Order: sequence, then structure tokens, then C-alpha cells
Amino acid sequence: MNPSQASTAIDFKAVADRLLPAGSSYDSCLACGLCSSGCPASGLEGMDPRRFIRMAMLGLDAELTSTPWIWTCTQCKRCAQVCPMNIDVSVLVGYARSQWPDERKPSGIVRSCKAQMLSDSTSAMGVSPEDFVEIVEETAEELRRSDDRFAHIAVPIDRKGAFFFINQNSREPAAEPEEMRPLWKVLDHVGADWTYGSSGWAAENFCMFAGDDAAWKAMVEKRVEAVDALGCKVWINTECGHSFYTLWKGVERFGLKPNFDYASLVTYYAQWIREGKLPVNADWNTRGIKFTLQDPCQLVRKSIGDEAADDLRFVAKTLVGEANFVDMQPCRSANYCCGGGGGFLQAGMKELRHAYGKRKFDQIAATEAAYVLTPCHNCHSQMEDLAHHYGGTYRVVHFWTLICLSLGILGPDERKYLGPDLQDVGLPQ
Amino acid sequence: MIHDADVLIIGGGVTGCGVLRDLALRGIRAILVDRGDLNSGASGGNHGLLHSGGRYAANDTETAAECRIEGGILERMAPQAIDDCGGLFVAVEGDDTGFVERFGAHCAAAGIDCEPLDVDDLRRLEPAISDRAIAAYAVPDATVDPFRLTIEQVADARRLAESLFLPHTEIVGFDIDGGRVRAARCRDTRTGEAVTIRARQFVNAAGAWSMAVARLAGCDDVRVLWSKGTLVIANTRLTRRVVNRLRLPGDGDILVPGGTVSILGTTSDTIAGLDVIRPTPEEVDRNIEEGRALIPALAHTRFIRAFAGVRPLVLPSGGDGDGRKASRGFTLFDHLDQGLDNFATIAGGKLTTFRLMAERIADLVAARLGNHEPCRTATEPLPALERLSWTEPGHSARAWIAARNPADAILCECEMVPKSTVDAVLESAPGAEPQMPLRAIGVRSRIGKGTCQGSFCAIRVTSHLYDRGTYGGREGLGLMRDFLAERYKGTRPVLWGAQMPQAELAETLHCGLLGLDLIDHHGQDGEPQ
Repeated sequence: MNPSQASTAIDFKAVADRLLPAGSSYDSCLACGLCSSGCPASGLEGMDPRRFIRMAMLGLDAELTSTPWIWTCTQCKRCAQVCPMNIDVSVLVGYARSQWPDERKPSGIVRSCKAQMLSDSTSAMGVSPEDFVEIVEETAEELRRSDDRFAHIAVPIDRKGAFFFINQNSREPAAEPEEMRPLWKVLDHVGADWTYGSSGWAAENFCMFAGDDAAWKAMVEKRVEAVDALGCKVWINTECGHSFYTLWKGVERFGLKPNFDYASLVTYYAQWIREGKLPVNADWNTRGIKFTLQDPCQLVRKSIGDEAADDLRFVAKTLVGEANFVDMQPCRSANYCCGGGGGFLQAGMKELRHAYGKRKFDQIAATEAAYVLTPCHNCHSQMEDLAHHYGGTYRVVHFWTLICLSLGILGPDERKYLGPDLQDVGLPQ
Repeated sequence: MIHDADVLIIGGGVTGCGVLRDLALRGIRAILVDRGDLNSGASGGNHGLLHSGGRYAANDTETAAECRIEGGILERMAPQAIDDCGGLFVAVEGDDTGFVERFGAHCAAAGIDCEPLDVDDLRRLEPAISDRAIAAYAVPDATVDPFRLTIEQVADARRLAESLFLPHTEIVGFDIDGGRVRAARCRDTRTGEAVTIRARQFVNAAGAWSMAVARLAGCDDVRVLWSKGTLVIANTRLTRRVVNRLRLPGDGDILVPGGTVSILGTTSDTIAGLDVIRPTPEEVDRNIEEGRALIPALAHTRFIRAFAGVRPLVLPSGGDGDGRKASRGFTLFDHLDQGLDNFATIAGGKLTTFRLMAERIADLVAARLGNHEPCRTATEPLPALERLSWTEPGHSARAWIAARNPADAILCECEMVPKSTVDAVLESAPGAEPQMPLRAIGVRSRIGKGTCQGSFCAIRVTSHLYDRGTYGGREGLGLMRDFLAERYKGTRPVLWGAQMPQAELAETLHCGLLGLDLIDHHGQDGEPQ
């Protein structure tokens, strides 16, 4: 791509003046480069966050309007986090994305957003409400048949008046339905009053990454309507980062008025452990297997903040044992994005995505952990792919897997993300 | 060291460079010297405004008409250095309405194209202008990059006649014998080395310093009033056009766009000497206080530096006093009545009229040499040299993006100047030399001119110069310190808002990280303060 292909150049400086809060316009940039130093996308396509600002200040709008770098920036906001002048480059990256014609945007991101528009599911993998209901019911039935302990487990859908509305990432119903079971078991164990919805159930929102505000808004509206229609008090976002952020941010950005609170599943894992409802511990980890933790940007730095990071560590350390937990450096709100966010995984820019993720790979390798825990599907896929690409030996695992493992209720076919070392641990005798 | 040339020109400002090229176009080889570098004086310390003449229409019709004619010639001869952005004259509530009414007639008298503008149209054209504007005229003002003008003139003179520019070469005296200057005795201000330049003709185009140079040749006829002007640079371009206050010239009443920035000025204060020329916070305040009546955003805009220049205004014998009232015209001194027949001085004038000044003195010098070629600077376009256009904002950046060469690292992030630009300056810019100082590279590129005012690029460019062997010992550190001290002279008077943390960051880098405060100007260790 070259500048001449840009149809109409964006006046980035003027847009920044309009979109950024007072006092944090590009005009106040000190050119210190803290943004670029902490950005894993620095150097890709000859760009970095500081260069983005400097180019805007020099009026290189045609070049900025057409640079494919905006699709390698995951909008993780680490640049904004460290900027002494409070400048947020990701806002203008989002704006630039919105100005690309759909046919030139990375097709995978556009396709995922369009799939979400197909039915009331809002599913990026195109799973219809009918299919979702059928897959859930079949999977639940299998579970009831195969394990006496769960012969009467309830997996409610569209149950009016349930306290919790829990969403569901499409990957499980579409590709690995058995991975839904550990979460159901956890909810069953704590006696949660919950339901899925056949409408607005999907936990992904690629419309934000596509820079399509109208579609992003439509998705959030659909989900808010679905939760309100069932009269639920709390919307719990499953182990996924961006689907939480897109609702949390979308409600504010589009001025929506939901009649429910929203929370991350991690917050409730921590609460249920503290309340004694989830009596997990690390007794199973007799071999001292080491675990590290990836803080999803969308959940920690970009929305809930260090409170979520605290909960993540409390849950992780309880599950694996304090001595077996190793943090990455830096972490929490200063954590590096892995490169799975921003639609990068769907953008078809594999080499760039691997280059972006090298920093995360090195960070994980430095911990010498055998497993990375993360409550985010995009982080999960990217870190697995990084291990594969760079020859890492670590595995990436969901929290629900370890919770059920610790409780002794993880089935033998619910262990695809565990290594051979954990295939037999905690199975019924 | 001894040099020989047909003509020695003293003063590497826009006029001296203009004389160098004018003579070269007539086939005359000259040597140009400056005690500092190109544009060290008023030629580098001005608005970069190519006056339509409107500014002087009310009280100096002759200068106004000269500006109009010369501005038109420059737009044809050197379009690469000119932004034909247009200009406005705007009066705000409280300004003299009588002056407003007479302005059109004054412009007409000087032949200046001047269109009255409706105030609503004015605010649509330039939203930054105050809603208290009451009258406006559009005039053909333009802006000019004086650095590009001088660099390309010196380069063209080198191409045409192998003429030579010697930086940091100061005149210390003249060898005079039999009513003729035989040689100029000079000193290399960097090395202290003595340099002798023998020539048949000597041209004094030393601007504010022309009186001192004339006196070294025993001439007492040049009398110059020094009028210091301070200007201040905004971090962004606030208006598309030049905006002049529609009133008799005063402080802070012209805002001139310069690529990506705007320059506000100027003050006018008569000074007694040239030892210290630096902008002061008081002068900056005065500019902003006056300027905000016209452009309210000036009250809260970010300024990145201030700078000062000294207008050399020629005093008629017996005249005195006020810099605003002194003529902006120029004077050619042939010094025959001082007993010399091969020494001439050109003084006064304006950036806009430099070409005409150069023509007048070159005519005299050429005739004295028996050369009867006509002046060609009004008809022969100044060649635009792609490799020397690094002073244009965004030029390096665009070239770097187009080249897509990841090995060509960006050294200056603010202005996006890569290694290859610094290398090109070192290899082919006029005045390039071994161990080229950072300041000299800055004059020939955008290095140090951006938001951070050299905080980072000084370190990176110096490192690059060590890497490529330009510097070897400690001299590079001293030259970096000189460069930063010069930048700080400009940032010090604008230390508020975002520029304050910027300066704190710079201090941390330069003193905390590098310990430059312990290096003296010659790269030697100094005593800790």
C-alpha cells in the first residue's frame, strides 16, 4: 500500500484535537518515546506510536491514512498508560481503521463482524440461536449421561429472572463444546442462579476492531436488550477480554442504559473462593508445576484496572500454590499485549503478528513456567501460536480447567489444553 | 592558510549569498566568509515573510513598492523556497479606523494588489482570527525559507564559478596599500588559525556587523542602527495565511506560517551592542500580549522556542533614534570618499529585497573588475536542488517513507530526519567540512527544529557522527553541548505549559544521563559547578 491509494487523507491532528481530552492533544507530545519503548508494534511497517504522532504533526496525513500499521496496533493502550502528557494514540488508530473502505480492511476482521450481524446470536463464527441451543442441550445431556455426579446439572437458556446472564465465546459451541462443561460445573458447584440467552449470547465483538462504530453499537445494543429482556441483575463476561471491554466501553460511548451490572467472571471466581463456595487449593500440584499469568489488556489496563489483576493473582495462586506462581515482568496494568488483540489474529498478517508477539514469548520463556493462565480467548490462541512458532514448550490454559482439576471434577475429555503431566491428575478412582 | 579570489564577500547572510551567486552568473569567482555560519544574523532571525509591501504602504511607499516587485521576482525565480500562501491585514475593535480606511489607497499608491474582505468571509478563511475583527484586506504576502535560499545560492555559485563559502572565518583586519585593499586577514574561530584572503574586490555584506567591518577598512561612513526583534514559534500552524495587524507597525502584529508551525513577531528595540543577542521572556510576553488580540489562540498555544535577530537599519547622516521609523530601504556605499576604490558595503534593506541589494553591489563590483555582463538573477531561476532541500519541514520524512529502507534509522523523531539526510548534508551541503558541528548540520536540515528542540536528536546525531568517524575524540561532546546551549537560548523564554516538562526531560537527558554540564565548550572536562 502506498499513500497515493488513500482516497481522502484524514486530518489526524484535527481529529486528535476533537477526540482526545483537553490538554492531551498531539500538540503536547514531548517526543520522549515512552510510548514507543513500551509498544510491541514499534518497528513494524516502519512505525511506532511516537512516529504516528510526529507524522500527524508534520501533516503526513496521506501516509498515515494508508499505513497498514494501524492493523498491527492492537489498541492495547500501553502507550497511553505511560505517556506523561496523557496522549492516547489508540483512539486515532481506531479512527483511521474506521476510514478505510471495507474492501481494503483485513478481510478476516470484516468477515467476523459481518457474521455477528447475521443473527440474534451476535456470534462472530456464525452460530445461529437455534444451533447454539441445540449444541448446549446436546452437550449438557452427554455430561449428565457420562458422569453420575452431574446427572442433574442444569444448563438454563432464556430463564427469566435468573440473577446472572453469562455469555459464551463462540469457539466452544462451534469447535470444542466439551470445553463448555468445566464452566457449567463451576457454576453448578457454587449454586449460581444463572442463564444463557439464545439471543446476544456470543462473547466476541470484532466490529470494534473493524473500526465499524455503527456495528459495534448494534452488537452492544442487541446484548443489552437480551439481558434486559430476561430481567437478569448481573451480566457476567466469560473468560474473554475484548467482549468485556466492548460492552463496558460501548455502553458509555453510545450512551446506553442497561438495567444490569456487568462483571468479569474472574471477579466472581475470586469472590466464590473467598466465600468458601469454591474450595479450591493447590494440593493437586504435588510436582510443583510452574504457572505464569497473562493479564488481558482489555480486562486490566483498559477497563477494570489493577483490581482485576489482584483478583487474577488471588485465584491463580490459590489454584497452583504461591510457590508455583511466577509473574511476568512487567505485568498487571503495565503488561505487554501478546498480539492476539485488536483483531490481529483474524487479520491474516501472520508474520507481523509473530514479530509483535516475540516480546510476549520472551517474557513467558523468562518465567520458565510450564503453563500460562489467561482468561482471554485471543490471548490464549496467540500465546499458543507463539509457542508453536518460536518453539516454546509452555501450554496455555483456561481458569475453568484448573478450577475443576483442583475440585476433582475435571473429566478426562476436558483436558485438551493440559499436558501429559496433568492428564491423570484428579481423575475419579 | 592563503586563499585567492576575484572577490571576497564578507557576511553569509541572504545578501552575501545573493552577491556570491550574482557574481557567479557573470562568471566571477568569489569567496564568501562568515564568522559564524550561513544565516547566523538577521537572515536566520526573521519571520521568513516575503512582504507584499502592505506592511510599509502607509509610511514608506518606496520600500513598499520595492517589496512588491522583488517579492514577485523571487516567486518566479525560487518557487521551491516559497509558500505562496497569501496574506491578510486585519483590524480589530479599538484599532484606528482612519488607518483602516486609508489602507487601500496606500496600497494602490505602491501598486500593491489589495482586496477588501468581508469580516464573515475572513473568519471562514481563517477561523483562528478573533471574532472582534472589524476590517480586513487580502494581499499577496508569501513566506520564504531563508535557509533554503542561502544554501541553494551558495550551491549554485559553486556550480557556476567554483565559488567558495568558508564558515567560522572572522575578519580581523585588512591589508591596505595605495588606496586599495590587498587582502583580508582572518581568523578561523574554531581552530584559531590565521587565514589570509587575497582578492581584487571586497564586498561588505555583514548586516548588523557591516559598520564594524567597514571600520576595519578605515571607513567611517557606514552608520547602522541596531534594532533587535524577537519572534516566537508556535508548535503548530495556526493560520493558512500570513496575518498582519492592520495598523501602523507595532510589536507582535504579524503571524507568519512556516511549514508546520507559525511564527509570531516581532518586537523592535534599539540596542547598543551586538555582544549578547538573545530573546527575553519580556519580549516574548509582549509579542503574545499584542498578538492575542488578533489570534486569541495565541494565549494558550504551545510555543517551542523564541529567537532574536538584529535589523541593520541604515541611518542617514545626522539621523537617529527610532527603529520603527527608520527606513527599511538599503544603501550602497562605494567608499570612494573614504579613499578606497575596491571596497564596497551594502547595508539595510529587507529579506524581501535582498536580490536587488545584491544586484546593486554586484553591478558596482563587476564594473570595477571590467566585467560588463548584465545581472541575471531576475531572469535565471535558482536551481532547486533535491539533495539540499532538507530544510523544508516534512521533506526528509516523506523521502524516508518513500524509500522504505529500515536500515536508514530515523535520528530526529520530531522532524523525522534519517541518517541518510545527515550523511547527505555532510557530503554535499555548502559549508560541509570534516568534523562538522551539530549546529551547522542543523542549519542545513530540520535537526533540532522540532518540538523537543534537539533533546534526543542531538544525542542520536552525535552518536551517528562518532559511528561514521566524523568525530573521534571529545570534540563531538563539546559541539553537542554548544548546539544544546544554543537551543536552550531559544526555549528558556517560553518555559511554561508543555514546554516546561519538555525542558525538564532535556535537562535529565543532557545533564543526568550524559553529564554534559561537566563538558566545556571545547570538549574538555570542566570544573563541576
